[in-house]
Amino acid sequence: MSIAEGDLLHTVDTGTLSPRRMQLGRVLLWASVGLMIGTFAAQALFETGYISFGFSNWRPVLFSYFVWAFMLCLSRVMIYGEQGKKALFVLPAALFVISMVVFPLVFALWVSFSDWNLASLTGRKFNGLDNVRQMMSDPFYWNAMFNMVIYVAAILVEYAIAFGLALLLNADIKARKFWRVTFLLPLMLSPVAVSWMVGKSMLEIRFGPLARFAKWLGWEQPSFFGSPEIAKLTIMVMDAWIFIPFITIMLLAGLQAMPKEVLEAAEVDGATPWQRFWQVTFPLMLPVSVTAIMIRIIFKLKIADIIINVTSGGPGGATDSVTSFIFREYRDRSNVGYGTLLAMVYLVLIVIFMTILMKVSARLVRRATGVDSS
Amino acid sequence: MKAHIYEKLMAMQASRRDVLKGTAGAVAALSASSMLGGMPALADGHSKLRAEILKIPGVGAGSPTDADWQKVGEMCLAATKENVKEGEFAGVELTFMGLNNQNLHNFLFRGFLKPWEAYTGAKINWIDLAQGDYNARLQQAIATGTVDFDIAEMGAPFEGDVCGKGLASEMPDWVKAQIDMDDYVGYLKAPVGTWDGKTYRISIDGDCHNFNYRTDYYADETLKAAWKEAGNDSEWAAPLTWQEVQAQSKFLKGKTDPLTGQSAHGYLDPLKGWGGFAFYFLASRATAYAKHPNDPAWLFDPDTMKPRVNNEAWVRAIQDVLDIMDTQPADQINADPGTTAFQQFLAGTGSMVAWWGDVGSSAKTSDSSVVGDVTGFSILPGSDDVWNHKEGKWETLASGPNYAPNMAYIGWGVYVMARVDSDEKKKKAAWSAAAHLGGKDLSLWCSAYPSGFQPYRQSHFNIDEWAEAGYDKAFIEDYLSSEADSYNHPNAAIEPRIPGIFQYYSVAEDELAKIYAGQYKSAQEGADAIAAAWEKITDQIGRESQIALYKASIGL
Amino acid sequence: MTIAAATNHDDFDRRQRTRWWMMRVVIYGMLLLWAAVCIFPIFWTLTTSFKVAADVMRGNIVPWWEYTPKWLGWRSLGLSPDTIGNVSTVREEFLKRFFNSVIISVSASALAVILGSLAAYGLSRFSYRFGFMRNSDISFFFLSQLILPPVVLALPFLVLYKELALLDTHIGMIAVYTLMVLPIVIWIMKDQFAAVPVELEEAALVDGLSIWGAFVHIIVPLVLPGMVAAFILALVLCWNEYFFAALLTATDAKTLPVMIASQTGSQGINWWSMAALSAAGILPLVFIGVLLEKHIVKGMTAGAVK
Repeated sequence: MSIAEGDLLHTVDTGTLSPRRMQLGRVLLWASVGLMIGTFAAQALFETGYISFGFSNWRPVLFSYFVWAFMLCLSRVMIYGEQGKKALFVLPAALFVISMVVFPLVFALWVSFSDWNLASLTGRKFNGLDNVRQMMSDPFYWNAMFNMVIYVAAILVEYAIAFGLALLLNADIKARKFWRVTFLLPLMLSPVAVSWMVGKSMLEIRFGPLARFAKWLGWEQPSFFGSPEIAKLTIMVMDAWIFIPFITIMLLAGLQAMPKEVLEAAEVDGATPWQRFWQVTFPLMLPVSVTAIMIRIIFKLKIADIIINVTSGGPGGATDSVTSFIFREYRDRSNVGYGTLLAMVYLVLIVIFMTILMKVSARLVRRATGVDSS
Repeated sequence: MKAHIYEKLMAMQASRRDVLKGTAGAVAALSASSMLGGMPALADGHSKLRAEILKIPGVGAGSPTDADWQKVGEMCLAATKENVKEGEFAGVELTFMGLNNQNLHNFLFRGFLKPWEAYTGAKINWIDLAQGDYNARLQQAIATGTVDFDIAEMGAPFEGDVCGKGLASEMPDWVKAQIDMDDYVGYLKAPVGTWDGKTYRISIDGDCHNFNYRTDYYADETLKAAWKEAGNDSEWAAPLTWQEVQAQSKFLKGKTDPLTGQSAHGYLDPLKGWGGFAFYFLASRATAYAKHPNDPAWLFDPDTMKPRVNNEAWVRAIQDVLDIMDTQPADQINADPGTTAFQQFLAGTGSMVAWWGDVGSSAKTSDSSVVGDVTGFSILPGSDDVWNHKEGKWETLASGPNYAPNMAYIGWGVYVMARVDSDEKKKKAAWSAAAHLGGKDLSLWCSAYPSGFQPYRQSHFNIDEWAEAGYDKAFIEDYLSSEADSYNHPNAAIEPRIPGIFQYYSVAEDELAKIYAGQYKSAQEGADAIAAAWEKITDQIGRESQIALYKASIGL
Repeated sequence: MTIAAATNHDDFDRRQRTRWWMMRVVIYGMLLLWAAVCIFPIFWTLTTSFKVAADVMRGNIVPWWEYTPKWLGWRSLGLSPDTIGNVSTVREEFLKRFFNSVIISVSASALAVILGSLAAYGLSRFSYRFGFMRNSDISFFFLSQLILPPVVLALPFLVLYKELALLDTHIGMIAVYTLMVLPIVIWIMKDQFAAVPVELEEAALVDGLSIWGAFVHIIVPLVLPGMVAAFILALVLCWNEYFFAALLTATDAKTLPVMIASQTGSQGINWWSMAALSAAGILPLVFIGVLLEKHIVKGMTAGAVK
């Protein structure tokens, strides 16, 4: 990794580096590369039976990776001096992520093009594009995809509510800390606990307090999961309940950081509160809104726990999310090959979706405020 | 108290061993007669022990606690002591994988095995899994070679996956003797628990669906009169066939529950999936239609593995569910079997439910049950006609309605993994621990108290023992005979122990959910979708091997 | 004339005041309503843990008035006053898992905040080039880890961890959780650093500090609230994680959520022990939330608006 021109923070190199030091840096780096490759090769040969000595597991290879990672960092400094020290900021995180993700992803890719049912006596069989063909004609998968679109669309409502709450919290109120803490609480709860205590206990149709409340309001036979539409809505409400605090807090932070003078100026100009909101507050809040919505979308795309625990996707797949469907395919049916392919396709789709969304929203923000939000 | 019992136990044990030293003939005669219920000298000390066990903590004394489990474990240690010297397994560490089901199962085992650990010197590490995680975890462990446990609590449906792949350790003969395998009820004996003629399983549980109904509905004069008024000739009594179940369920719509005063409901169908387990409930409805006495197969064609789930019998069962969907409580579409049994039936909603024995054992003892005094039991309803799959037509049997109790899940067992085989000491320790849990006396306690386990031995059906422990005799007789009659039924529908059986169930649940939600035009169309999905799974796992295993599992 | 004007003025004043009061009522009304929405489920969880079956079935809500609280739920965990002194396997199990949860989630969150802050700082200050990847690509690379559905990684992780002998170890779980929360930490911290004027470090550099010296002595104290916010968020996510915990742990490193999930099964649901366990599982986080809430908002404020 090298440092390109155009740093925000300019530094001045003090002194030159001795060639010996640079030489030593390179030697150390390549020695550690050699060590890592050597350990890996030795262990691979041992595991495949070509040589008879080796370690009982691959951990030594991991250690040699650590040595290499350390040497890589060290050599940056030895070879590039101050410039190299800059690389040290990003390298540890990057090396960590790469070490944790590269192997699993490659392995997952390998698995996803195979016919692998864990119960099968024959094990994994490569089957080319069969899984893709099966996916194309899998009504459950596309149904779940469609549900995801609705789930994601619901974020706009969550955002509106959260904005309202943030405005409330930012208003001139007493005991602000109490309200803030209270509003934050749902975020702290585990989805598993929420599924059971809210989804199953509070929504229980006979003794659940919400059902009794609904009856009191005049809904004679409250049924929160009876029809597809209502079931979907209930799931969305429960998920929203957990995550609205998150959006609220981000928006509140934005509101509190907003320059007071601008609003005051608008007030002096005689703008109504409604105008003030739409012409001043909202545009100013756009960058933080985009960030909050983005993070929220990512969390929403992974929604599964609540659905798995409360409805198992029912009735008839109406509440299925992609992850909860893959979860059933994968865990209940041990259909690893197909399940992994579904997940990989989903991953590709959401990466594309998120990339487009980020580009579009960045442009939107730029147009509205003239500020780059990336 | 504890020491006092312990001493008593020791004394009893001594006398028992003395007797055992006597002539073998006498012992044989005595044990034979004990089967008949007359408990002579030898069995007397033993029956006292059993009576003592049943008094911990006592019927109606609330849920047993840790201390109770340990006490029971200690009292039942005698069998172990005969085979294992004190401190023999010092230094051995075993890993036990099982369920944590509401802090029962593995927690119970921990309590039972604490005295065992203290006596033998072995140490046990525990892997607790939620029921939903169990199957996935097991499959992944097998597939990736990460079997990290020595002993596993496992259901018979998984035997195909574990024993079929040579991962289990064969049961030594001394274990067979210690746990008295001959005492098992008929259907738990071989071939269940065996694979290629080798025995692997220590049963700790027996499972079948029985039929639970509310007796107060049939004692209620208003309902009786209304039933006659509706133009029914038949008696207003507990149903014997599914046809009657259907008729009564439809009749009960709009009536009032005699116990709770809420609206009455008939048979409770779980319409939501339960990780594969909900399929058993459709199967319980279907077996009377689909399991012909002359044909051991009812789920697949044994020669081709072609699914029968879309034949007329199964479609009729699905249609039955659809027919009475409007009689169910509100929101039934989101009710899984746990809901129908525990939140509905035991809580006084609905008059009929098919379930495992848990409903019966919880009706009186569970804190959440209100129907303890008004629950009756029988084997699953039959059917006036039965589908003959080979002939392709409905038949009315000369013997009357066709009954076919569903031996759903076949119960939990304890299995020792093959990875202990290389170390004799460890192997013996593992089997000794497993045998302790599958012990004859220990199991009596488990079947009488909340443990998650049902009666599974002939000796569990000694009504007097239960009555002496404080159970209501009429109730326990009714309950136990519904279990025993199911277990010993000649036309019992035994679940195939083939690899991946839960995959079939799981995919069927997804399709059933769509059927119940009205997304298919007809029950037949939905059943065809299930069959198609099953064919896919069979091909994936390997048709030839599935055929062979299926045939073996139904004794062909 | 003047009198009329005065009355008019009074009128206007009164109307203003009424309006002001109306606004107060509306604002506090809405605050109260939402507070109830937030608190009631937690109240429900807590109180259910003190109910017996009959109270659950009747749906009683107000303790001491509609029902008498009992220790049933907590007794099943061995945490009620009468069982606290006795041996209880359930309690042992609970405590073991509780402390595992603490160790794993705190370590993972701390590690993620350290790694993430460094990376975020680097990305906000310097331009990197790594092959075709530039800063925005590197940022997206980190972010994309957040998108990854955990189910994709299940089997690969199982295989990887088996080969590395990391199954059922604290280290292994910490690594997975760090990976899981690192993106969100980087995201938050990038905003934080972007809000700190570069001139501060430039001044420090002129004063003779190195980049790292400036980072540690000048920048870190400034963004500390942000780091706390990121830490808390990470902590919440780690503490509640279920999927990997169920997959990768067995005896030594198991955590709390799996135990909560086990409260249901073939014997119905013991609402009281489920509630007690849920309550015990969420209370630490609620406590932390109350304690550190200030930092969360403050931490997010810095980078919120530019």
